[in-house]
Amino acid sequence: MTWYLVRRLNLFIATSCVMLMVLFYVTHLFPVSPAVALSGIADPSPSQQQVITQAYSLNSNIISQFIAYVQNRLSGDFGVSLTSHHPISQELFVVLPASFELAVIAGLIALVVGIPIGVLASFNHHKMTQNVIVATTLTGYSLPVFWIGLMLAHWFGIQQDWLPVSGQINLLYEIKPVTGFLVIDSLLASKQYGMSAFYDALQHIILPAVTLSILPLTVVIRITRSAMQNVMSQTYIRAAEARGLHTGQIIIKHALPNALIPVFKQLGVMLGPFASYAILVEVSFAWPGVGYWLVSGIYQRDYTVIQGGVFVVALLIIFLNILIDVIHSLVNPITKKELYGQN
Amino acid sequence: MARIRIYQDDAIPSPTKRTWMAFSSNPFALIGLWLLFVLVFVMLFGELLAPFPPELQDPNALLLPPSWDQSGTVTHFFGTDELGRDILSRVLHGTHLTFGLSLIVVVAALIIGFLLGSLSGMMSGIKSSILGHLLDALLSIPSLILAMLVVAVLGAGLENVFWAVGLALVPQFVRAIHQAIHEELQKEYVTAARLDGANSLQIYWYVIMPNVWDIVIIQVTLALSVAVLDIAALGFLNLGAQAPSPEWGAMVMQGTEHFLIAPWTVTIPGVAILITVLAINLVGDGLRSALSPQRN
Repeated sequence: MTWYLVRRLNLFIATSCVMLMVLFYVTHLFPVSPAVALSGIADPSPSQQQVITQAYSLNSNIISQFIAYVQNRLSGDFGVSLTSHHPISQELFVVLPASFELAVIAGLIALVVGIPIGVLASFNHHKMTQNVIVATTLTGYSLPVFWIGLMLAHWFGIQQDWLPVSGQINLLYEIKPVTGFLVIDSLLASKQYGMSAFYDALQHIILPAVTLSILPLTVVIRITRSAMQNVMSQTYIRAAEARGLHTGQIIIKHALPNALIPVFKQLGVMLGPFASYAILVEVSFAWPGVGYWLVSGIYQRDYTVIQGGVFVVALLIIFLNILIDVIHSLVNPITKKELYGQN
Repeated sequence: MARIRIYQDDAIPSPTKRTWMAFSSNPFALIGLWLLFVLVFVMLFGELLAPFPPELQDPNALLLPPSWDQSGTVTHFFGTDELGRDILSRVLHGTHLTFGLSLIVVVAALIIGFLLGSLSGMMSGIKSSILGHLLDALLSIPSLILAMLVVAVLGAGLENVFWAVGLALVPQFVRAIHQAIHEELQKEYVTAARLDGANSLQIYWYVIMPNVWDIVIIQVTLALSVAVLDIAALGFLNLGAQAPSPEWGAMVMQGTEHFLIAPWTVTIPGVAILITVLAINLVGDGLRSALSPQRN
């Protein structure tokens, strides 16, 4: 197991290094001088220029430039934003929790709703129901997320006027960031506003979270259903039935843990598309997260914001991918063997 | 070789025919296939079918609702937008931008990805491992972010979308083909062929590739749906096709200004994207289940 963990750690470092190299290469392609693209100071004074040149060793060869770049980035120095002049790392601390909040709630909706539906669907062998499930899940895959976001906002936000359609919370409330998750922060601020701020934050998150959960929901339903059908046909389930166990007990205790392993694995595969969808959802609901910040960075040609955003998102995805991989092989040791066989 | 028919049994269908039989027994897949045929037809002849040029502005018919509405007219079947442009014509013209461009991007990405994937798949040891890590790193950047990065370097515009989406798709192709070839290389029939004296090129082309083609086909359908969605998403973010262009995602974005009084300017191009991606996914899903009994 230790050897396996070392190999995964190795993979994480190697992959992150390559990702850094790609980003380092891209900084030289931006249509501004490298000093500006790296530091984010638009008109550096001679003394600032000297500091930048020294910090990123711009006068030495490309390899020591890359090393200086990695040192700066890994110590949390992403330069300052070209437009707002705040340090990128400071801005990241504001926008990252908002994105996490949205992603976690959307993921929870997908799992809590998707797994029971998938399990129920696996017991129904009626042709009609199966067709309906295939049709709806495929439609869920195919929906352009920015469009369905607009549609939901139109129906539930404007025509019915049930839910707010943009932002994270009503501007009336001034919530002090404690955890960064606004739903929790507004609950902590209940002394000031009572529960109204909390309800307002909840109302704001419903539409974006539901929109974002459509893709993972369809995937979870599909995978749970096929995995459950697979597991239920195996002999140990028949043995449990023969011993006279209750059906509910068989499903929850015997079948479900095994059926959830492929679902878990699929979550890792889905991270990339999920992040893409999250950006679009954030833009269409004006949710102040990384995606919204990144897209407005592109509009404003704010090169340090673009680098910071891409770096953080990619690093998170690499990390979560490997984490899911490790947990997956912890609960399902058979896969480790396959990995050794491959390389 | 002549087959002597001793018994009165049926001829055994070839693998291709069996795949087609499994595929065509699935009504959803057939619907998807017909939809794709219609889309290709519209892509090729949409400009002839469209009643108006896409940029023609009719000042007498601003924000006209679709023809099924009380106040709509049949001359503008899907209604008009805020400048009086006919939405049906724009959607028809947009087919070759959204769907046609995605076809070209996928073909280009397939060729490059196929070459790189074959090379890296046939390699072994440290070279293969380094390439694998490189691909993992590129794959860890979501395709839309990679495309946005390219747009940030090159600037917005439809030509740059080609490079952006193409670059985002290549790693997926390389990865899928690399893995498929690698998996096949471990199997015993390859060793058998090697013992028979086949060289690497022969093993690659005659022994392994027949078993990899179906993965390539499935990957193409996956990439096609990703390409359509990414092109439309870039258009929606105003990073791809620019304002007067009838690209579907850009049309959705242009419609959002008048969304409250004229929701059809957003609904109709969105439905066009949905139908296109759904058709591709239906065919892809049908192909996957038609090919899977042979794979397992």
